[in-house]
Amino acid sequence: MIELVLKIIVFGAVVSGIWALVASGFSLIFGVARILNFAHGTLFVLSAYFGIVLVKNIGVNNYLAFILGILFVGIVGVIVFKLTISPIKTHEVMVVIVTLAIALLVEQFLLLIFGEHGISFPSLVGGIQNIGGIKITNIRILSLIIAIATLILLEFFITKTKTGKMITATSQDMEAAMLMGIDVDRIYLITMFISSILAGLGGLLYSQIFATTPIVSVKALIYAFAIVILGGLGSLRGSIIASFIVGYVIVVTITFLGARWSEFVMLLTIISILVVKPTGLFGVEE
Amino acid sequence: MKAAIYVILVVLAAIAPFFIPEAFVYILGLSFLFIILVVSWDVMVGYTGQVNLGHTVFVGVGAYTAALLQSPVRLQHLLGFTIPKVPIFISIISGGIIAALIGFFIGIITLRLKGYYFALVTAILPLVFMQTVFVWRKVFGGEEGFSIGLENSLSNTILGKYYIALIIMVICVLSMLFIVKSQIGLKFKAIREDEELAESIGIDTTKYKVIAFIVSSFFAGIGGAAIIHYRITVSPDLYDIPLMLLIILSAVIGGLGTIYGPVFGAFIIYLAKNWWLKEILSNLLKIAPIPINDDMILYLMLIVVGILMPQGIYVELKKRSWIAKKSNSSI
Repeated sequence: MIELVLKIIVFGAVVSGIWALVASGFSLIFGVARILNFAHGTLFVLSAYFGIVLVKNIGVNNYLAFILGILFVGIVGVIVFKLTISPIKTHEVMVVIVTLAIALLVEQFLLLIFGEHGISFPSLVGGIQNIGGIKITNIRILSLIIAIATLILLEFFITKTKTGKMITATSQDMEAAMLMGIDVDRIYLITMFISSILAGLGGLLYSQIFATTPIVSVKALIYAFAIVILGGLGSLRGSIIASFIVGYVIVVTITFLGARWSEFVMLLTIISILVVKPTGLFGVEE
Repeated sequence: MKAAIYVILVVLAAIAPFFIPEAFVYILGLSFLFIILVVSWDVMVGYTGQVNLGHTVFVGVGAYTAALLQSPVRLQHLLGFTIPKVPIFISIISGGIIAALIGFFIGIITLRLKGYYFALVTAILPLVFMQTVFVWRKVFGGEEGFSIGLENSLSNTILGKYYIALIIMVICVLSMLFIVKSQIGLKFKAIREDEELAESIGIDTTKYKVIAFIVSSFFAGIGGAAIIHYRITVSPDLYDIPLMLLIILSAVIGGLGTIYGPVFGAFIIYLAKNWWLKEILSNLLKIAPIPINDDMILYLMLIVVGILMPQGIYVELKKRSWIAKKSNSSI
């Protein structure tokens, strides 16, 4: 019994850490630019596919491919923002529809090129650790460490650096920030870049642990989206806490009911929380 | 004038099967049922301005309700007791009623709040309903869905199906047109134009939003139920996101809040997807093998239309003609 509890705690933490990365990126761009980027899950898979192509087809070193994959989606995110989101920024719902269409477009494209079978990014580290009788691969431990370190760095960046403070100012009051001489459009692009590399990092870590298919983009979007509304739109800390709630709900459901129940139970949990508290756990009133 | 055009169009639809091959008659019939889905989305989104991203929930619920009513064995797995098979007409109406009931419950919970909330929650809902299909495989048949049997088809012949689909579509569209042209429809529009103003002149905005949502989900359910009786198979694609985007694309191209616009939009987009695009693409791919398929072209269209005309083609054209008129009169 203790072993089972320990197993849930350890595995849940890894899964939650990865989703926390993805969700905080989704939440960040919403908080700053009031944009619901439904192509966020696409950035998540794109990094994995780009990295895999670099390693398997071009023969790039693992570590280099890992970094290039993350930078690649950062640039893709900025281009998508500049070309498609920015012209229609004020029509919030059209942004949702257009980014959703982009997500499905890329999904179809990946399906045509790579097919629907799962592929994995070669692990950065090999080997297994034995923690209290539970075997866990090193890559899972590394993923959790990378996730936590990135989130701490993000928090530091937002609250301590000048650019970070400009991002916070823009999210609090766009017009006032503009009047203070902040180049808001530049801040949006920087935020989009950070948001995209968070998704990309999540995707590359995920694809080392689980198999990635083009359809995972929709799954990643649902998870990020669900976590963010659970945590409260625009609240970074809310989304990190919510990802751990969602991560553990999933792992517990898989352990006791089986994998096919996991998404159903997770979505039901979120909807029931929303019925009671529509603004999410830490949401601010609009 | 408008009415005359529509009578002519319905007459054209009625004689069309005598001039086109049977395989296309089948697709044309399905496109009529797709029109119901798009127009019912328009009743909610175009008239009250509340963006419903989960319309496929009601399409799917209507479809699975009707399908289960035709498959007593599966229904027994769900309810624990048997219900005798019902006539097709009743199963289609039941599809609408169950969808409307679910719309009512979702509506009273989600429509109390303004802004993003409704769009957000409705965006997750189709995924929840889709998961039920995978969780209770014995009842809903999993990814592949199930067949309700040839004998439960709308008609034995394709021609018969075609005419029944046409009749169902005309009845549904006329009913929805009647509702939005009535006093209730005026209140829907008042909410769309300015929710707070509508509230201040004594309109119970939540009540009318819920009414619009019930109407919208009822007809979506009817559409879904009619579709499965037309094609005799039910599968989770009726809940899925691509269908939602196809509905949005059709309504946006046709013009929101007009009923007529979405009818044309739905007709054109459905035929484009299931008939013209496939042929054009298969010819194109013979010349140049590029990774593209018909879905991708539709998504590209949606992206381009969305960026160039974020308020929809209809509003954009109306605005432009208004500006043109104004500039003419000033000269």
